[in-house]
Amino acid sequence: MKSVVTTVVSAADSAGRFPSSSDLESVQGSLQRANARLEAAEKLANGIDAVAKEGYDACIKKYPYLNNEGEANSTEVFKEKCLRDIKHYLRLINYCLVVGGTGPLDEWGIAGQREVYRALNLPTAPYVEAMRFTRDRACAPRDMSAQALVEFRGLIDYVINSLS
Amino acid sequence: MLDAFSRAVINADSKTACIGGDELASLRSFISEGNKRLDAVNAVASNASCIVSDSVAGMICENQGLIQAGGNCYPNRRMAACLRDGEIILRYVTYALLAGDASVLEDRCLNGLKETYIALGVPLGSSARAVGIMKACAVAHINQTNSMYSGSSKYRKMETAQGDCSSLAAECASYFDRVIGGLS
Repeated sequence: MKSVVTTVVSAADSAGRFPSSSDLESVQGSLQRANARLEAAEKLANGIDAVAKEGYDACIKKYPYLNNEGEANSTEVFKEKCLRDIKHYLRLINYCLVVGGTGPLDEWGIAGQREVYRALNLPTAPYVEAMRFTRDRACAPRDMSAQALVEFRGLIDYVINSLS
Repeated sequence: MLDAFSRAVINADSKTACIGGDELASLRSFISEGNKRLDAVNAVASNASCIVSDSVAGMICENQGLIQAGGNCYPNRRMAACLRDGEIILRYVTYALLAGDASVLEDRCLNGLKETYIALGVPLGSSARAVGIMKACAVAHINQTNSMYSGSSKYRKMETAQGDCSSLAAECASYFDRVIGGLS
């Protein structure tokens, strides 16, 4: 899984050398930022149900047609699945914050995403709206420290870009 | 390949749970001990050739048959292959120590190593002994208890901050034990 350490180790391995001082410097750099990332991960994990619900409500508010007969949010089962999907992205963001790279999102969220949504005939705009709302709703220092918020927003933007 | 962080992610994903609380606490200690870990990796990597040659020399000292005709270290060509293998194993152990997870060692080094050695007729017992000596050397370098040559020109002192590295030394030893386990 892609993270700073695994990238460094792969590079050293393909060159067949021991970890050099520049490798250790890269790892050190990622460890320095790790506290902010873990803070964001912790705050997100604590509030993930509420955060997902707010994002979900915001996207349905912006796209009320989704409640119409036959649309993606029309039945109880669909509503539950929409909320679950948003929570799923937030959980992957939580993982990415822990790893310090986009590996979990890439491998479990984004790979194949386009094909799945196309096959299920789902619009991606509501997901973007849910993510955008979550990104703009979070604020420092109420939710987390400023540095943690930067890391969190960066990953939300990464998801938005993958969906748009 | 995983590191300590992605290992936590894999575990959490199997339960479809977020990572919070306890797991984060152990990762925080990984971060706060990060500089120690980098020093430990540096202590092993910087003394790699010393560790490898000592361990191969020690293995041969205990079993002189290896460098007599028919022994597996007999012509220089095979001795060189032996030194190279020792260095490769030590390299993967330093990767595992840097990542805080044994997956790189398992996937890229140990997977199929025993079968290869059996096919090539490499004595597994001797290989495991050399790895055992590497373990002792590496642990000594991490703990800075490599005082055998203290006072002589052979003594190598790494100028690092002093501290308790026992858990890192134990972790490093566990990776060597995995290699020994994989060979026997």
